[in-house]
Amino acid sequence: MLRPAPKPSADSPLCCVDLSKSFEGEPVLRRVSLTLERGCILGLVGRSGAGKTTLIRTLLGLLAPDAGSAFVLGDPALALTDVARRHLAYVPQTPDALGWMRVGDMLEFVGSFYPAWDAEYVADSLLRSGIAPGKRLVSLSLGERQRVALIRALATRPELLVLDEPASALDPVARRELLRELATLASESGTTVLFSSHIVSDLERVASHVAVLHGHRVMLHAPVDEIKESHGLLQLDAVAAARLPSKLDGELSRRRRRDGGVSVLLLREAHIDWSSLEQRLGGQLQVLGLEDLFVQLTS
Amino acid sequence: MDSDDLLIRPSAPEPIYRQIMEQLRRLIVSHQVAPGEPLPSVRDVAARHAINPMTVSRAYGLLEAEGLLERQRGKGMIVANSRRRAPTEQRLMMRLDPSLADVAREARELGLAPRLVLERLKYHLESASHAAPSAEAVG
Repeated sequence: MLRPAPKPSADSPLCCVDLSKSFEGEPVLRRVSLTLERGCILGLVGRSGAGKTTLIRTLLGLLAPDAGSAFVLGDPALALTDVARRHLAYVPQTPDALGWMRVGDMLEFVGSFYPAWDAEYVADSLLRSGIAPGKRLVSLSLGERQRVALIRALATRPELLVLDEPASALDPVARRELLRELATLASESGTTVLFSSHIVSDLERVASHVAVLHGHRVMLHAPVDEIKESHGLLQLDAVAAARLPSKLDGELSRRRRRDGGVSVLLLREAHIDWSSLEQRLGGQLQVLGLEDLFVQLTS
Repeated sequence: MDSDDLLIRPSAPEPIYRQIMEQLRRLIVSHQVAPGEPLPSVRDVAARHAINPMTVSRAYGLLEAEGLLERQRGKGMIVANSRRRAPTEQRLMMRLDPSLADVAREARELGLAPRLVLERLKYHLESASHAAPSAEAVG
């Protein structure tokens, strides 16, 4: 059974309550509340245009919400203290700051602002990525720039790391490397991570929690394993579909298929015995991977 | 054994911690991993497969609770020195049941005659016995 989303607490490194945001009268976020547990890796999924970037920017205080409030490392997002800033690392979707600088110079410059800056890690990572420190940032490919932005973020040894579509421009090897780094980072230094992605398989590897942003709100926020274990798709043929009650216990959505059959997305409640449900209704219950579930929930 | 002996399929419906548990159980009850043998560290498994270390510790912890693994101070996990009798064939078969149920379901969906499926299974059983033992260990 799914736990209700945790309530905002003073201990949470990143949380928001009832955030709303519209652009030119078009709502993007509607009373969104989200609380990250310390040390979690939260994958934020949503279709393109669902508002992932807006949610991230509002959470971090880079955008002012129309209503509601957000807190970063205990500070109000719109009034971050220097201490909070120093322990927060944020990588936007298209990193373009300081583009005229050379890679090495930029990293040295940025590093000088951070007491915990890990210069050895920077040197190692540049070498492994094959990016020459003497190159200018503007001359790098998009994937390389994303890589440099990530190195920069990780080198600050942040307490809270926020990544907006970090893997979108990376090749598969660099992507795997990034996921590996995120996973070890969270477990060894207790860093809390929020990363958004529409690539669900990335989330499945490293995320401890998943939040689905859809229809201007967070419609699901739970540990990955619980999500996988608590949802199922009941497939009924046309004959069985005709006898189907109008609403089943735990029903989330229902869709009529082209062959006349019906697919019902179900949330497993403790009192529902799924095998007897299959027998009673004459259908077949299918366990869903995260990607299929995401498609069922958001299409 | 090492981390490469585990096969992780992140996008499978089965949560990753369960995939790890299921594979380790199979390796242990069939004695492909001997009692007392150390398991790869949580860190190593997580790094090798780019998965969350908490997922690996969860699987190890649950198997420890089942008595299949033992935590050794300072050394990590080892396969428990089981004083129990050797596993019965019936218990071994139970480990296979989930995979067989999958095969049965797919065969039904494809409308295949049971006789053909059984023949094919027999073929695989026989060809597997000629393969290197390490190839079985992964399955």
